[in-house]
Amino acid sequence: MNCSDLEQQIAVESQSVDLAEHLKICERCREFAQELEQNTAALRELSIPPAVFATVRQRVISEIQVKDLRTMWWTWSAVAAAACLAILCVSYVLPRLQKPVPPAPVVAKMIPPKIEWTPQSVAQRVRHKTSGRFAAQAAPVRKTEPLAVVKMLTDDPNVIIIWLVDQKGDSL
Amino acid sequence: MADFRLKAADAGQSAGLLERAKAGDLEAFDQLMRANEKQVLGTALRLMGNLEDAQDAAQEAFLRLYKSLNRLPDIQEIRPWLYRVTVNVCNDMHRARRRRGWEPLSGPELASSQPDPELAWVHQERSRLVEMALKTLPEKERSAVVLRDMQGLSTREVAGILGSSEVTVRSQICVARGKLKKFTDRYLGKHL
Repeated sequence: MNCSDLEQQIAVESQSVDLAEHLKICERCREFAQELEQNTAALRELSIPPAVFATVRQRVISEIQVKDLRTMWWTWSAVAAAACLAILCVSYVLPRLQKPVPPAPVVAKMIPPKIEWTPQSVAQRVRHKTSGRFAAQAAPVRKTEPLAVVKMLTDDPNVIIIWLVDQKGDSL
Repeated sequence: MADFRLKAADAGQSAGLLERAKAGDLEAFDQLMRANEKQVLGTALRLMGNLEDAQDAAQEAFLRLYKSLNRLPDIQEIRPWLYRVTVNVCNDMHRARRRRGWEPLSGPELASSQPDPELAWVHQERSRLVEMALKTLPEKERSAVVLRDMQGLSTREVAGILGSSEVTVRSQICVARGKLKKFTDRYLGKHL
């Protein structure tokens, strides 16, 4: 086995007895192993100022806080939007969906009143005994049927419009 | 070799920490970050090659951790999960860079512990070269060598994180180390 073959074993830190024996007698391979160790030591030697660590930590914490705030903002925005939508549904959409159908106005049957007239002739005038004057009969006796009542129901069950109508259909 | 297991007392505390973090406790999450920041930022720095991008990658990895906390039943799963996510984030950033056709040139300024100025310079130069050489490696080889050599994970752990077989990882590490050495030799060997 020559030196170039053993260099590979040195590079992978082989613990073989043959290699250890070879390193004792071969200066070139010893130097090779030494230089590899120096390179490894150079890799390991790294001094980073403590301030750099603190800066990284600070940056990470700040970033997390900003992201948390952003998440919280979006959460609350979503909650507020949902609340607005719910209020809109309750106050606008639902009443329209549940709107009661207004009942058709009920009109009572209108029966024309029967009016009886009792005409009186002049002869039938009665002389008043005391005054000697003719006392005219008072107004003709008017016998009427009860007036027609018209009821109009409104949207509000507590409000009913009622009006009375005579035989001519005129309201009183 | 990194040990993902925790001591019993720590495990109890950490489990509570994870539960608090899951519940949205940012202080608990901050503690979770503190416990894993070196591995995340270190890996990201080695994979990205500059501190600015490494910070961005680490930030993204921790944000993904926060989002996925509820999917992690055990605190011991955080560390390998974070390695995997960090590697993925860094690879994604590299791919995005390549699509835009732009790579940053600046590397990290590394502090050297060598007392001798000349040795310190060589040491620093090697670190810079290794850093540069890492950028030339393919994605999988770079991830494998960083996790194995820099983070000190076992081949099995690296294979688990990268979703490859141990044989593949071993081969990738071998090839990557060879390439790193060639790269550093080309500069240090000739000029020093």
